[in-house]
Amino acid sequence: MDFRFDLIMDYAPLFLKGTLLTLGLSLAGIAIGTALGLAIGLGKMVKNKWLSLPFDLYITFFRGTPLFVQILLIHFGLVPLFTGKTEPVTAAILALSLNAAAYIAEIFRAGIQSIDKGQMEAARTLGMTHVQAMRHVILPQAFKRMIPPLGNEFIVLIKESSLAAVIAAPEIMYWGRAMQGQYFKVWEPYITVAVIYLVITLSLSFLLNRLERRLSTE
Amino acid sequence: MKKLSLLSFLLVFSMLLAACGTSDQNNGSDEGASEEKKTLRVVTDAAYAPFEYMDGDKIVGFDVDFVNAVAKEAGYEADIVHVGWEPVFVEIEDKIADFAVSAITINDERKESYDFSHAYFLSTNKILVPEGSDIKSAADLKDKVVAVQNGTTGQEAIESVLGENNPNIKKFENTVLAIMELKGGGADAVVADNTVVEEYAKNNPDDKFVVVEDPDAFAAEYYGLMFPKDSELKAEINEAINTIYENGTYAEIYKEWFGSEPDLEDLKAQQ
Repeated sequence: MDFRFDLIMDYAPLFLKGTLLTLGLSLAGIAIGTALGLAIGLGKMVKNKWLSLPFDLYITFFRGTPLFVQILLIHFGLVPLFTGKTEPVTAAILALSLNAAAYIAEIFRAGIQSIDKGQMEAARTLGMTHVQAMRHVILPQAFKRMIPPLGNEFIVLIKESSLAAVIAAPEIMYWGRAMQGQYFKVWEPYITVAVIYLVITLSLSFLLNRLERRLSTE
Repeated sequence: MKKLSLLSFLLVFSMLLAACGTSDQNNGSDEGASEEKKTLRVVTDAAYAPFEYMDGDKIVGFDVDFVNAVAKEAGYEADIVHVGWEPVFVEIEDKIADFAVSAITINDERKESYDFSHAYFLSTNKILVPEGSDIKSAADLKDKVVAVQNGTTGQEAIESVLGENNPNIKKFENTVLAIMELKGGGADAVVADNTVVEEYAKNNPDDKFVVVEDPDAFAAEYYGLMFPKDSELKAEINEAINTIYENGTYAEIYKEWFGSEPDLEDLKAQQ
């Protein structure tokens, strides 16, 4: 097998551009997904069944259907409905955030519910309101427990952003496929793509590890 | 102890892999040997109506009927498998399949890596645009967003106008997705083989698409069956192709799918 490094060099500027877009998609997905996920997670925990139902349905849909399908639905269906034309980058960010929000909501809920009930009761006895108790007592402790599963979710999100190639959002995987289409080579484009994703995900897990250590109380 | 078990696991795993590898190769060389009424593995990307597409779970199309007729003439059975566009090239390069049929244009670049049968179809790339668009020729596509299928001659044709990897060229998995992008408004035009875009415009009058041709910018192309380099099968298949040209089978299939007579003289002139 002759491995053609020169072809990779030809595509290097495009891979660089693709990497920037992948980072953009992932960061946007993480930011919007986390904010939305927190809201949905809290919504699902509301005691009133009718109020929590929409949040429940949201999670059921986005967790129960493939992201691939969601991307196609949002790109060819939802986005044109609002803007009148297809927009690959918008659709990719939307699909990734909406999808991640469903998982993140469950992570938040699990984190919050893992905190002993006595903590809330104690905070309330001290005269805090429910919201105050949440903000100052429950959430800070829950947040620490959520870091490992959240990190997991972020890494999954970065990797799943590669599915945006199908709607021609020019991220890393898109250029990998373009390179394969041009030269009909398998190893050169996809090994390069794999290495780039690995570098991104490794950097993220390094950061998350440091954060986890900093917050550890033991 | 732990290390040892990991090592033995790796060993077993690599042996398994090696075993898979050799059995594949055996299959490959078996297919080279001539045996009566052998089944050929023919690979395709069945998302290119009317050449090859899925009708329910069956692959149908002009290419399918053509290959079945040719294989029958040469004394083989053809097992046509839908693998996707790029895997088609991988399978032929690695000699996993016997040959490929997928409306594949014969060009010099591909000839370096693969062998082709005699030309069996004449095609040109054309431009699909919405009705009332100001695009009248290939030159008008400058500064426009154009959707194509990744790795096709349609992509090459438009790259010859806009430049390689121009960000205004959107490359999709297949032509259907490219056309949907045009429909969704994310692209101004689609460049693809004439039969596909004409068929689409004809079958979907509600979309209000028209086909623009520019024979000066996009040259005529010929489709061929694609073989691994130095395939022994090629000569037999070429002979069978000429036979069905002569005995009228080809014209019959052509008329069934396209409703007109093929230009056999032109196809034969390419041999």
